[in-house]
Amino acid sequence: MGLTFSEKVLSRKAGRPVRAGEVITVAPDYYLSHDNSSAIIGEFKKLGLKKVVAPGKIVIVLDHIVPAADEKYAQNHKVIREFVAEQGIPNFYDIHAGVCHQVFSEASFALPGRVIMGSDSHTTTYGAFGAFSAGIGRTEMASLWATDEIWLRVPETLRIELSGRLPHGVYSKDVILKIIGDNGADRANYEAVEFAGPAAADLSLASRMVLTNMAAEMGAKNGYFAPDDKTLDWLKARAKGDYEIVRSDPDANYEAVLKYDVSGLEPQIACPHTVDNVKPVTAVAGKPFHQALIGTCTNGRLEDLEVAARILKGKKIHPRVRTLVLPASREVYLDALKKGLIEIFLEAGCVILNPGCGPCLGAHEGILAPGEVVVGTSNRNFKGRMGGRDSEIYLASPATVAASALEGKITDPRTYL
Amino acid sequence: MDKDIRQGRAVVLLNEHGKIIEDIDTDQIFHNAHLHITDIAQMGPYAFGNLEGWKDFPKNCGEGDILIAGRNFGAGSSRQQAVDCFTALKVGAIFAPSFSAIYFRNAVNSGFPVLKIHDLEALIAGKGIVTDDVIRFDVRSGRAENVTRGTAFKIEPMSPVQHDIFVAGDLFKYGKRIK
Repeated sequence: MGLTFSEKVLSRKAGRPVRAGEVITVAPDYYLSHDNSSAIIGEFKKLGLKKVVAPGKIVIVLDHIVPAADEKYAQNHKVIREFVAEQGIPNFYDIHAGVCHQVFSEASFALPGRVIMGSDSHTTTYGAFGAFSAGIGRTEMASLWATDEIWLRVPETLRIELSGRLPHGVYSKDVILKIIGDNGADRANYEAVEFAGPAAADLSLASRMVLTNMAAEMGAKNGYFAPDDKTLDWLKARAKGDYEIVRSDPDANYEAVLKYDVSGLEPQIACPHTVDNVKPVTAVAGKPFHQALIGTCTNGRLEDLEVAARILKGKKIHPRVRTLVLPASREVYLDALKKGLIEIFLEAGCVILNPGCGPCLGAHEGILAPGEVVVGTSNRNFKGRMGGRDSEIYLASPATVAASALEGKITDPRTYL
Repeated sequence: MDKDIRQGRAVVLLNEHGKIIEDIDTDQIFHNAHLHITDIAQMGPYAFGNLEGWKDFPKNCGEGDILIAGRNFGAGSSRQQAVDCFTALKVGAIFAPSFSAIYFRNAVNSGFPVLKIHDLEALIAGKGIVTDDVIRFDVRSGRAENVTRGTAFKIEPMSPVQHDIFVAGDLFKYGKRIK
């Protein structure tokens, strides 16, 4: 019996062949943290150590509440900047850079075969580049800084084979929402999710990142796409250091294989208050709402903004709707600016937010009042996440959100494309 | 040895219809608005602050209480406050049919007992566990006993790594021990 991607990567790291279910200790290649670095620093200091073991492996991106929304956040940022200087941490991205997952990918720390730990649940994103990447908590991150070691349970793998061609107006967001809706928010708990098949290969890297990002919303430990020519093209211009392409063996042992033909898929939407409460957009079309959010680490890349701009070009946002555009990074923002997309958004009546996590996590920049409804392209719709406890969050593709923003009610985007 | 056997009062997390609450996510456990808090001692009052019907939980819970929740407890963010708020309140354990992966790891690394419970639906439906029942359990063997009712049920024993960290106290103390 062959090995899965995760078994292979972790075998290399462990220095011996390992199988799903085993617990091993490994030294990851990189460890990522964001604004929660201030809490990690607090934990690290409790250990009584002066220096982190491997400063070159630490990547810190300030993104959650940037620029600082109040004095408490400002103080946390200050603590982080001082620690970075004192420890000589080379890979620090201050408030200008964008959401950690996009920044980390653009800076090409996300490389095939690498093992990456991040103190953020959407660290699963880097599987789009063929890396093994998983989210951890604050204590573990402090422990990594102190020891460069972490215990991991080698995950079982759920393989999802995608075939067919995406219909007009249907995107990778619709694919992952459909999968989560069908299988449940805990279907892949503790597991690796491997996306494969011809329709997976057809996806751009940006679209693949939507799937691996949201693998976290089905409970996955990590997501994975086998690297191909598209991956290598992306890496050619960017890769920092060497990497090794690791693929699952053809006879690897999977926990299960799910098959999806995407040809018949319609636009999907996750309804309040769980990500697996998914319906076709047509089932909730006409529902009025107050705020639209286009962007985030899930759908804030250039291709996402292009689709939204195509729909919004020359039109005006519905007067009852506030529309926020949140590019995933400064690089995306610049590209969108050069392509004239920002002008289209501004003329349509959108508010452009600085790259970062913004309102997605409900801490600042577009908090909802009780009873308000948001339709966004982000990845979570937990009750009260974006503000008032009784507010509602719907999740959909950038096309669906843009079309809905024009109409002031949830709208099937296919008529606009 | 003694550390393996624990006892506490059951708190069954039911909704207004008397159903066990599933998918209790990290925003319901410890809302984003309080993420600037980094001192564990201050986290207790925010536990379940965003969980419908359970906002008074921090006032009503007692030391050693055993929370019984539905599947996929702790879904969502990697925030450790969602575990720490319970340790701050001296909650004794959480039993659920399943936990989100990161939540589970965070709890394991904090030395906080999170244990998978078997056949929860039948237990709840048959009134095999009701809030205020006294529960005694063994994290090593998976034996659990409803002392109030004189009945037994099963939890999944801690895995070796979970148990080692639990016995050591937390991940840091465990790390010191293996060095």
